[in-house]
Amino acid sequence: MTEAPLPEAFEDLAPWLDWALEPERARTAKKTASSMEEIRALYDAMMPRLEDIMAYLDSVPAGDERPASAHRLHLLALSLVEVANLVEIYKRREIIEACDPLDFNPQR
Amino acid sequence: MKTVVRDRRWAEKYPDLGTGPVPTEPYCSDEHHALERERIFRRCWINVGRVDDIPEPGDYVVRDLAICKVSLLLIRGSDGVVRAFHNVCSHRGNTLVLDEQGSCPGSLYCHFHNWIYSDTGALIRVPDEENFFGLDKREHGLTPVNAGIWEGFIFVNLAPEPPETLRAYLGGVADQLDGCPFHEMTLMQTYKVDERANWKVALDAQNELYHLPFQHRLIVGDAFVKNDKGLIRFQDVNLYNHHSVWSCENNPARTLPPLEHLLFAGADGAPVSGDDAAPVLRIPQMIGEFDFYVVFPNFVLLLFEVGNATSYISYNFWPLAVDRTIWEIRMHFREPGSARERLQQEYFKCVIRDALQEDAFAHENIHAGLASGAKPHVILQDEEAPIRHFHKVLEDHVGFYRGA
Repeated sequence: MTEAPLPEAFEDLAPWLDWALEPERARTAKKTASSMEEIRALYDAMMPRLEDIMAYLDSVPAGDERPASAHRLHLLALSLVEVANLVEIYKRREIIEACDPLDFNPQR
Repeated sequence: MKTVVRDRRWAEKYPDLGTGPVPTEPYCSDEHHALERERIFRRCWINVGRVDDIPEPGDYVVRDLAICKVSLLLIRGSDGVVRAFHNVCSHRGNTLVLDEQGSCPGSLYCHFHNWIYSDTGALIRVPDEENFFGLDKREHGLTPVNAGIWEGFIFVNLAPEPPETLRAYLGGVADQLDGCPFHEMTLMQTYKVDERANWKVALDAQNELYHLPFQHRLIVGDAFVKNDKGLIRFQDVNLYNHHSVWSCENNPARTLPPLEHLLFAGADGAPVSGDDAAPVLRIPQMIGEFDFYVVFPNFVLLLFEVGNATSYISYNFWPLAVDRTIWEIRMHFREPGSARERLQQEYFKCVIRDALQEDAFAHENIHAGLASGAKPHVILQDEEAPIRHFHKVLEDHVGFYRGA
């Protein structure tokens, strides 16, 4: 039997699994390639679940021992953080008067 | 609140800095750039990383001091000692190590003729050694570069005999930060931003908060204590010979965006205290709540609070040419004790990163304006005093105007 991609209690987040990306540059690239509607949909789906996500992640082993499904959930939470400033602060899909986010070239 | 919001405090505290304009030629002049190479980057102690970059014996990193055309090999020997060498083979001058980082099993070899060096820099094997003429391997180890370590930060000095020790060079910065547990804050991310701007344009643009409510009005414009006109005032400015630090306090009345509120404040708005696995890490060496040290010439240490732990960011501004710089940004946080703390750190990382993306955009526009030659001087106000100090130290070293 194939392991479920997300923990059972979070299966409703499956439509956003293509945001379960690492490293950081992959999340940034997904953000810059997405429309504001797609970004907002991720934000709206994740925000109400974040408290439960954090509680769940603390209930399973951390680090290398963390189950793959929980790790995907963690990556979705990181993608929420990645896009939050566009939704909450800039209210558009790009930072105003900034360099290309990919120019920041994260090394890990 | 410790901040006194009165105007023109720093000119009173440091009257020797003066109040006049600062010339723009040092940002754009090839002649000035050449003098910086000889009189700053070949003479001063330059930060090139941390001991944590090479934790195990045999670990190495290669750092390019491009302005000096020097490739540095930083390697931890099997004796545990961190050393710096020119990354150059003693035989015919080939670049020894070609990758940026790695780990060697006790020795390194040159790809040209397979000369082999120990991880402490000694030449230990030369193929066809008998066919050389009086070759004494003991005389042909890697060329060492003076290296010093302070609180885990590795500095090098390219001068054959540095005029002062690293500790003496750091002076008041080290007095203030000695014992700071930098080793408890691990590297989470490094950014390397390639900018079409002079390295001092980039550094100066970070070395004040006057711009925050304007350039960064949306993202961090409200982060720090302001006066009744909405302008940020430093809590303190301290000058330490070559170096400086400015400090400010967080704005206690700031409205948190929804995600930050969710991550840092409970339903009742009280700060989330963290669980038992995430004890408070407060650094008694903090002056304010956001301390920005400029370690001359091109290194910045920025200490700040995330939740209940102190964190820090470092900047290295690497000049590639008079109009090109690599801005290396490293963000360090303590090992998170919970999923919440990990996301708090991610949140701060992304907020600061996004604000710095506004800065990177500005650096290139500022450089373009300065390079046009339209303005012989820039004008600095009192809250830009740290920039004034930097340019005084710069000229003390370079002697561009005194014709030294």
